[in-house]
Amino acid sequence: MQAQSVTQTKARADTINAGAEVLTFEVSAETFALEALLVREVLDNCPETFVPGAPPFVDSVINFRGRIIPLADLRLAFGLPPTENTLDSRIIVIEFALNGDATLIGLRADKVFEVTTIPDASTEAAPRLGTRWRPDFIRCLAKRKGEVIVLPNLARIFAVCGQAAAGQAEHLHPVA
Amino acid sequence: MTSVLTVDDSASIRRTIKIALTNEDYTVTEAADGAEGLRAADAGKFDLIITDLNMPVMDGLTMIRELRKKPAHAGVPILFLTTESDAGIKGEAKAAGATGWVTKPFDPENLIKVVKRILAK
Amino acid sequence: MSIDEGMEIFRVEAQELLEQIEQGLLDLAGNPGDKEMVATIFRALHTLKGSGAMFGFDDLAGFTHHCETAFDRVRKGEVPATRELVAAVLNAMDHMRALAEKRPVAAGEGDRLLAALERVVGEAGTNTALHPVPTPTEAAAQGLATWHIRFTLGADVLVNGTRPLPMLDELRALGECPRGACRISAVTTAIPPLDALTPTECYLGWDVELTTDQPRAAIEEVFMFVIDDMTLDITAAHPAEAEPGVPEVTKADHPVAPAPAAGAEAAAATDARAWRPDSQVRVPAARIDELMDRVGELVIAQSRLKQIAIASTDMNLRSVAEDIEHLASELRDSMMSVRMVPVVQLFGRFRRLILDLARDTGKEIELITEGEATELDKTVIERLADPLIHLIRNAADHGLEMPEERRAAGKPAKGRILLSARQAGAEVVISVKDDGRGVNRARVRTKAEESGLIMPATVLSDQDLLQLIFQPGFSTAATVTSLSGRGVGMDVVKRGIEGLRGSLELSSPPGEGSQVSLRIPLTLAIVDGLLVRVGKARYVIPVSAVEECLELTPEQDLRSTGRSLLTIRDHLVPFIRLRDLFKTGTQPDRYQKIIVISTGTDRVGLVVDQILGDYQTVIKPLSPFHSGVGSFSGATILGDGNVALILDVGALTTSAAQHDQTPLRAAS
Repeated sequence: MQAQSVTQTKARADTINAGAEVLTFEVSAETFALEALLVREVLDNCPETFVPGAPPFVDSVINFRGRIIPLADLRLAFGLPPTENTLDSRIIVIEFALNGDATLIGLRADKVFEVTTIPDASTEAAPRLGTRWRPDFIRCLAKRKGEVIVLPNLARIFAVCGQAAAGQAEHLHPVA
Repeated sequence: MTSVLTVDDSASIRRTIKIALTNEDYTVTEAADGAEGLRAADAGKFDLIITDLNMPVMDGLTMIRELRKKPAHAGVPILFLTTESDAGIKGEAKAAGATGWVTKPFDPENLIKVVKRILAK
Repeated sequence: MSIDEGMEIFRVEAQELLEQIEQGLLDLAGNPGDKEMVATIFRALHTLKGSGAMFGFDDLAGFTHHCETAFDRVRKGEVPATRELVAAVLNAMDHMRALAEKRPVAAGEGDRLLAALERVVGEAGTNTALHPVPTPTEAAAQGLATWHIRFTLGADVLVNGTRPLPMLDELRALGECPRGACRISAVTTAIPPLDALTPTECYLGWDVELTTDQPRAAIEEVFMFVIDDMTLDITAAHPAEAEPGVPEVTKADHPVAPAPAAGAEAAAATDARAWRPDSQVRVPAARIDELMDRVGELVIAQSRLKQIAIASTDMNLRSVAEDIEHLASELRDSMMSVRMVPVVQLFGRFRRLILDLARDTGKEIELITEGEATELDKTVIERLADPLIHLIRNAADHGLEMPEERRAAGKPAKGRILLSARQAGAEVVISVKDDGRGVNRARVRTKAEESGLIMPATVLSDQDLLQLIFQPGFSTAATVTSLSGRGVGMDVVKRGIEGLRGSLELSSPPGEGSQVSLRIPLTLAIVDGLLVRVGKARYVIPVSAVEECLELTPEQDLRSTGRSLLTIRDHLVPFIRLRDLFKTGTQPDRYQKIIVISTGTDRVGLVVDQILGDYQTVIKPLSPFHSGVGSFSGATILGDGNVALILDVGALTTSAAQHDQTPLRAAS
């Protein structure tokens, strides 16, 4: 129907600029990447404070240099299984424009890989079929050394998942 | 060190004058009305006074008159700021004891020239 | 550049001047004979015009010039300050504000306003019984005379800053009387050939033929200050249209304008204050905010130091830590007071609003203010403006009745809205009270049921019913008025106040109109809190809300399982187990504590595992993801770097009530 073609157009429009620097990281055995420009800092694990009543996607906060910032879990956006905190676990602090205001947000990561560039030929828009995830949560997919790297559409994810009240997590992603 | 007193109820005008004169290495003291201006003149020693006429508490003409009554201030040059609509004011100001005038709006460069001319005498 | 800096200051100054003018006009409307006020308004207009022209606000200067002229005439007694005149200038305020902010204005708007002003001034001038006080020059202007004027200026005048053009303009102005004329021609005989020309020298002279009704002295006055450096020749020509018998105008005496008695008195009454060059300093608001942040961080660091000192046996350390605690506390108090401003500046805006409201609704409305000197943090005041405007609009629109209805009810035709502010402990209470028809309970009930907010059979206390008005989606407006939209915005008001960590109360005793009271904590930034532990997490409860702390014995705990009411000194107090509300999943401590908090109307006990102590703390805002979570109004960073959420006591009590579906009001 209409919705799908809109999504496809949107996905095409959101392909990442060739040669842009990205930070790659792992969440629940999947590799993700986001623009290095957004990244403020990568933290080792730090104490988290649970916020009762918050949307599950952002259910905790941390102290980042005297500011209290939300901790977002991409696992929930993509219906991925939870993982244990290990010595490799990190929190990627990004500065992102939320409703026009620059906001600091922490993203959980199981492992952080490196800052690298995505070569031009490898980016492609999220295909309509063959993906387990909500297409509108994905900006585009990239291939590198045979593995798929997902560039999430953070704006969309924050908009949708940030609102969901507790107990609605199931509706965020299609049943696998 | 040449020191100038500027009296005006408009902070923006005072600032403009202050910056222009400070650039010429003058020391500038500010006052916001005629009464403050009088107190400042008594408390300090100024080589020149630049004053607006229309101010609350005490207006410029009264301040000039009061200044001239005191021997200490009998000789200090006093410039007043006037807009075109101040008809007839120049006569009053001269009678009160003013030395010269500058029209508002003024070009700061021009103000400096006038100040220098007055101080040179 | 000096002009640029001056311009920035002028932007702020213009706002203040416009505010001053508006308030002055409103005062004058009520008291047209107030000469002081007229002088003040005139001065403000004069400064606005003069400084505006200085800093590139030509449109503003041009427009204001006319208002200034009108007020000059009032000042001189030529024209009385009629209500129409005041209204005409008041109408121009928005236009002037737009010009001062360099916002676009509607084409022709300025001309329209000035035309209206001119009309009013003209009418006021002719209607007055006062004869215009003759100014010296007018008195002397008996007839016309023509003069030949020839003058040259010194060669170096241009370098010295003398400007010939204004002088020529003045001569021209002298010729702008009825049947006057002015012809100026330059005398170029002294100009050398191009190769001998020094551009900075003045070689021009001027020949002016001036027909004016002004005396010769007026001409001389034009050159008064440069007369020593120039040549000037004034000869009377044969009067162009001399009337027989009109004496030639000679130098008339210019009576020195009477030294304003006020001015002389002010000089004599110079107060004993020693001269201080800058007894007031202007500081950009951003700098004060920065300073506030630094103080906040100092408070946090000081708290951590305190923790360390308490745990240490080093007496010196403990002593110094205590000293720093005192200093930090005093510094904090000083910072608070720096940002405090009296609410009068907020209330002032509403007087204009009331005039507009009265006009738009056709009702007669009087605004009375009380406690204008009460002070509030500057940022809080800004955020109160919109909610208060809404409340006042509601009062005018829905609360107050039309004059006929009021008279029929035995009330004075003029409706009263009372806006008051007072300090109550660590809070400021601002209330909007009207003597209108009060809240129609039946209508509220009906509307709430219609909107699905309550089930038809629900029993509600009066307070609960009134609180429904603050729910989103509620409306009692029978008609949609243009003023307050759908008669709501009350939920928006509530959220706005709660965003300031304040609370809202509505009371409407039958026959006494309605009153909305806003309670706002004195400052946004730092809160005195009680640190508590629930499960493994720590939370902060604002001390200002805390009434008392009690122990919950295991027996009491067992007894009240399944119920949410507790008896405390013969009163039933509802309570919330925070453990349950926050779903901590932990086992309770053996001896829990109850902290009884009060939200103004409600008392509620919060059950926690442990009270950890007093905690003075800086409030940090929560991100947009969490600002919707009802239970918390902010968060803070503890001495050990961990985060503790700050409980929003008002929201907690409400959400707990919904959660339980048991009425949260104790039977009293």
